[in-house]
Amino acid sequence: MIKTILNLFGSVGNKSLKFIANIGHFFIFCFSAISWIFRPPWYFKKILLQVIDIGYFSLPVVGLTTFFSGMVLALQTYNGFTEFNSESTVARVVLTSITRELGPVLTGLMVAGRIGAKMAAEIATMKVTEQIDALGTLGTRPMQYLIAPKIIASVICLPFLVFVGNTIGILGGYTIAIFKLDFNPDLYLFATLDNLQWIDLVQGSVKAATFGLIISMVSCYFGFNASKGAEGVGYATTVSVVVSSVMILTSTYIITALFFG
Amino acid sequence: MKKRKIKNIILDVKDLKKTFGNNIILNNINFNLLEGESLAIIGASGSGKSVLLKNIIGLLEPDTGSIKINSTEMVNLPRRDKENLLLKLGITFQHGALFDSLKIWENIIFKIQNQQKISKIDGRKLALSIIKRLSLKPEILDLFPSEISGGMQKRVAIARAICGNPKILLFDEPTSGLDPVTGSVIDKLIITAVKTIGASAITITHDMASVSRIADKVILIDKKTISWSGTPKEMLVSKNLKIKEFIKSTNPKLFS
Repeated sequence: MIKTILNLFGSVGNKSLKFIANIGHFFIFCFSAISWIFRPPWYFKKILLQVIDIGYFSLPVVGLTTFFSGMVLALQTYNGFTEFNSESTVARVVLTSITRELGPVLTGLMVAGRIGAKMAAEIATMKVTEQIDALGTLGTRPMQYLIAPKIIASVICLPFLVFVGNTIGILGGYTIAIFKLDFNPDLYLFATLDNLQWIDLVQGSVKAATFGLIISMVSCYFGFNASKGAEGVGYATTVSVVVSSVMILTSTYIITALFFG
Repeated sequence: MKKRKIKNIILDVKDLKKTFGNNIILNNINFNLLEGESLAIIGASGSGKSVLLKNIIGLLEPDTGSIKINSTEMVNLPRRDKENLLLKLGITFQHGALFDSLKIWENIIFKIQNQQKISKIDGRKLALSIIKRLSLKPEILDLFPSEISGGMQKRVAIARAICGNPKILLFDEPTSGLDPVTGSVIDKLIITAVKTIGASAITITHDMASVSRIADKVILIDKKTISWSGTPKEMLVSKNLKIKEFIKSTNPKLFS
């Protein structure tokens, strides 16, 4: 009995130590990756390719998600607020919810699923097929050649994607308000623009850039440390999406608290 | 190849020891490679051959011991100096390790392109000249690695390794997973590559036929250390039980 309890404590302790060690490795990796961003040579072609992949090819999925979210938000808000005769605040609620929270978070989660998984799988495959080892022996630093362009592109593209996502989300709300809920188009638009605040856009951009950093760092970290062949690639991909998503939701609270807490 | 003039020591490994945790992988490894010499390293799977190679190319750091390339100590060398030293080596990995996102010609000139600015036209020309030297088809230049066979990928990996005329070529199981005919083609390619650029070579292999074709000297890694060394001819008549067993199991005809 005592031996079983001791084994249980041992196992928990061992896993806790491993977890703490992994966090330490992750931060060392982040520090190293960021330091390589500022050192020449910069691989502009690789950065551009990443910008196209992240910024351009993510537009459809981000657009669709935020458009329907805006629609749902307008509909739900209207249904709820009708009980208090506050239908006039629908435009404001849609605008604030999307620019402050839904736009950045949904964009972040979509990009984590699309780009984060791709980054992790690509780097993990390179790792298990010795391509990363080969890079190191061919006069190239893998951190600088592989990781830095992904981080730079993610941090640049996410604010752009969030801006586009916010606009499309607000348009989704507008569509429902005008065509289903019979709002006056001019009044709705005026209410939206009147309630638009710089702080919301700044906060959204800060969140977006942070999410870009999180997604690229986490995905590259798990990809870079992948092992065990195909199974390792699968694990790196899954865990990078899960961890990115959790970190996005955690950091959005911290940033909101910093701006509005 | 075997008549090549033997010169100075280009790689010197002394008292190398490597452990992973409490597990000793390599212990008391001593050997050297002469200029123009072709050395084959044989040993059972998991005996530490690839670990030894990774120590030589700086991907792993030995616990103790010394690795000198051209009299320069590799162990604990600052990163920048190590990178410069590594440029003198040409390495092919077990599965080719070609970069999936680059075309074949871009793979071949990758090292040169990182060292100096080279135009697309010049780069392609350089890649073409290298694959011609290795008698490969120019049509593959604009393909991606996924569009060519495994055997062809290994040949391209050899082309990439010799680009920039390195002083030492290292081949990690170049014929593994290939049919005997393709394996023989790879061996010829290795001999041609070594001859063409006048480099020394280290080949890690299980293939005894390959050893007899490409090596001037053979070392056997067994029980974490070098348990036998000699020429391929000496290997065939060796009384060492491990060597006998190894030859018998991999190529009985060669032994008889």
